[in-house]
Amino acid sequence: MMIMKNDVTKILSAIEAGDPMAAGELLPLVYDELRRMAAQKMTREKSGQTLQPTALVHEAFLRLVGSDDRQQWDGRGHFFAAASTAMRRILIESARRRNSDKRGGGQMVRRELNEEDAVFDSVELETLLSLDDALTKLAAEDASLAKLVELRYFTGLTIEQTAEILGVSPRTTKRNWAYARAWLRREIDQEEELLD
Amino acid sequence: MSDPTEKTIFLNALDIDSEVDRQNYLRQACGDDLQLLGSVQSLLGAHGLDQNPLDFPVAVAPSRLDAMRDPVSDATVDSPLTSPVGDIGKTIGSYRLMEQIGEGGFGLVYVAQQDKPVRRKVALKIIKPGTGSSEVLARFDAERQAVAMMDHPNIAQVFDAGVTDDARPYFVMELVRGVPITTFCNQGGLGLRERLELFQDVCAATHHAHQKGVIHRDLKPSNVLVTLHDTRAVAKVIDFGVAKAMGQSLTDQTIYTRLYSMVGTPLYMSPEQASMSGMDVDTRSDIYSLGVMLYELLTGTTPFLRERLDTVGYDEMRRIIREEEPPKPSSRLTTIDKQRGDTIGQSGGAIRSSNAAGAATALERIPNDLDWIVMKAIDKDRSRRYESAAAMAADLKRFLSQEPIEARPPSRLYRLSKFAGRNRVGLITGSLVAFALLVGTATSLYQASRAIDERNKKDIALRDAIAAKNEANQARDEVQRFTERLKRANALMGEARTHEELEQLDAAAATYDEAVDLVPNYYLVWVRRAQLRLREKQWEKAAADFSNAMYLDAPVDAGEWLGVPALLVMTGRYDDYQQICSMLLKPSQQNGQAMDWNAIRGTLASLPEDVSAKWLAERADDLLAAEPPNHRWEMEGERRGGLGRRMEGPRGGPGPRGGPGVPGVRGPAPPRGPGGPEAFRGPEAFGGPDGHGRMHFMPRNVQQFVAAWAHVRANDNDRAIELLDDASQDGRWHGNLQIDSLKAIAHHQAGRNGLAQEFLRRSNDEMQRLESSTESTPIEMRFWVDFVEGVVINREANRVITGTEPDLSSVGSSKR
Repeated sequence: MMIMKNDVTKILSAIEAGDPMAAGELLPLVYDELRRMAAQKMTREKSGQTLQPTALVHEAFLRLVGSDDRQQWDGRGHFFAAASTAMRRILIESARRRNSDKRGGGQMVRRELNEEDAVFDSVELETLLSLDDALTKLAAEDASLAKLVELRYFTGLTIEQTAEILGVSPRTTKRNWAYARAWLRREIDQEEELLD
Repeated sequence: MSDPTEKTIFLNALDIDSEVDRQNYLRQACGDDLQLLGSVQSLLGAHGLDQNPLDFPVAVAPSRLDAMRDPVSDATVDSPLTSPVGDIGKTIGSYRLMEQIGEGGFGLVYVAQQDKPVRRKVALKIIKPGTGSSEVLARFDAERQAVAMMDHPNIAQVFDAGVTDDARPYFVMELVRGVPITTFCNQGGLGLRERLELFQDVCAATHHAHQKGVIHRDLKPSNVLVTLHDTRAVAKVIDFGVAKAMGQSLTDQTIYTRLYSMVGTPLYMSPEQASMSGMDVDTRSDIYSLGVMLYELLTGTTPFLRERLDTVGYDEMRRIIREEEPPKPSSRLTTIDKQRGDTIGQSGGAIRSSNAAGAATALERIPNDLDWIVMKAIDKDRSRRYESAAAMAADLKRFLSQEPIEARPPSRLYRLSKFAGRNRVGLITGSLVAFALLVGTATSLYQASRAIDERNKKDIALRDAIAAKNEANQARDEVQRFTERLKRANALMGEARTHEELEQLDAAAATYDEAVDLVPNYYLVWVRRAQLRLREKQWEKAAADFSNAMYLDAPVDAGEWLGVPALLVMTGRYDDYQQICSMLLKPSQQNGQAMDWNAIRGTLASLPEDVSAKWLAERADDLLAAEPPNHRWEMEGERRGGLGRRMEGPRGGPGPRGGPGVPGVRGPAPPRGPGGPEAFRGPEAFGGPDGHGRMHFMPRNVQQFVAAWAHVRANDNDRAIELLDDASQDGRWHGNLQIDSLKAIAHHQAGRNGLAQEFLRRSNDEMQRLESSTESTPIEMRFWVDFVEGVVINREANRVITGTEPDLSSVGSSKR
């Protein structure tokens, strides 16, 4: 299904208007579009290329929401929030699959291939997966911190952009980032120690 | 643990530069809570560590993460990346790499120097560093055995295969310094015969490999190189089996890598390869690729144009390869011819254009037989391709020696049933999914969004929800579009019927045409158009329309189908006739139901080989005995307000409608209904169809005629003549033509030649009278069955008795 610009802007407006269902509708759309775009990119750019999630997300924004429309600015935050979650999911799904393939050893498991598997080839699988675990724990403690990390890590937004989307000052964002960054690192290291 | 306190203390501590002050602050802030102190300190420790993954957002610079790789893990699988260029000068086994001549997604090809045991240059294909895996190695090992078994003059020989110290498989092959077969043919201006002969060698090579259990998987012109040995062109297939041996399986390599790197181009890829459905690729995929190459050799282009596949997305490309029917080579050549004017003169035009022009210059015309050979090889359904490359080569040989080839255009039945099947399945699943959508999508999407924070479950739920939503939307759109088309088609049919009633037959025809275009898989539009064509005596076209409707599973036992079997016989559509007979006989043959008159009558039109005439005659006698004479006749007649018929049309010109005293009419006159002549318009005569529904009834004398027909077929002539006499007693239906013709046959079979000749003469006279009387006027719906049946039996009578068929050219001709 072709996602229409309209659909997304409508949903963004609905979120703005306080429709609780609308946010739930946005994610699948964005997720779908990102996957599709990633797939398309790969067909054009041939192998050996890795895609830039940032570029991808921004392009998706232009496609789904439109150009730099000031009125849409508030909605844009919702868009990037959804996009970062979607991007995280796409990456993690891909990483998990490839990881299980590696560990599968001699036993081959047939599965449906997904287009984005090759896309983010050079991302360290283990790092990505353990970061994802840690991030989930962080979300349980403080969801807004986890969101901040998603926005920065999975869509590459700057502190300033993130601050604007989250509606807090850059200074607070910076401090929150420092805390989340240390927190996650501690969490990852602790997990690794447990495994060892 | 993350609580506000920990966070606040941590952030405050960060602001303190002096380590001493910081420790003091921490002790003061945490007080007795040693656990808190410990967690903040570990946070501060983590803060100070470099190489935090968070500093390398995946979004920004994934490659920087390489620096963080644990050098110990997966060392054999992911060997450190090295520059391929660095391989030159290296020695692998006893081969020294000299020059890189090719590169794919994970393969590199070098010219290598071998010194022992012989001194020669070879081609060495090696997997790129970092792309191997244990699985690849295992498969490589298995495959290289098979590859080594091949020994054929048209296959580049594989000398050696091995694995390097850093676990990279390699093949050493005969170095073929040739040009791709297509380039060779076009540059050399080869003629059709030369091209085909060269191509036959490629088929032979492929067959040899297949017999050794090796599948190429990537046959394309750049893998079929032609070199000149003295003056003789020799084609050599390179890389046989290499794709499998060195390729990575679908499970650990992406489609993209396969499509664009390893295979390089989807142009030659079979639908089953393109679908990536996990279906095993077998020798028939190679046959497909051979077909594409032959196509290109004939036309200069591949079945799907490179320019087009390059511009579409991946899914669209797969769809094209799997679903679209490419044009036949001959029609592609015509297009190229037309376009040639455009491409010539464009400086810097693509080589392909000149290739296309080159092929077109060499081949002025592609014979039909070659069309079918190519189309058979590239059939979407691999079971319909040549069963072997040798079979394909044999067909080419037959073509070259002007013998009949094996490949044939797909039968009408096949094409139609495939079409109908495709659409039906789409519709059924479509509506199911659409229903599921209405009930479930909103809920599942909502749930999906709720599940976002629940690990594991969430991914599945979301994927399912998205997939369900997409499918449902597509299906709903599809159903909606179909419904709209159907509505429009029904409106058109109503419109057409109005035209018909106003005798505006041309307008009606145009309207039916539109309806057929709109919903070609809806049998009723075909039936309606067929009926109009019957009125205009366009027998061939009507028969074609009825056939189409039949393959769309129209209910052929409906009244409006009465006479269609005879029509199919009259127009020489024997395959379709066999088909309708088997449909008519099915209820009795499969479910043991009693035969009805319609089925018997239709089956008698030519009598299919597998039906016993004696059996049919017995069924007819059973039916006659089961029904009290005239019972239904009277009842139906009363109820329908009259049995009259307009005495015009084939029966011999205008006459008093339904009135008594019409010449030849005996017995009770059809009662006139209260509404005057119009009351007799009603559907349709004796044993005829009612125009849209089931048979209402079959009058006794028509039953007798049908039974007589069966007995004639069963060579039970006296019983037949007895029945025919009875049938002609009743004046309400008198198929004079049918009755006289059948009598002629019966007498002839009984050896009474004089009588046979007499009835034959009578039936021929009647035939001529009908012909001349219907020449210029539209036939009425209710008469066509008698007419067509009469023609069929009359023809048969002439054939049986005189050995010739009457010249009935005017009967079969259409006026339009």
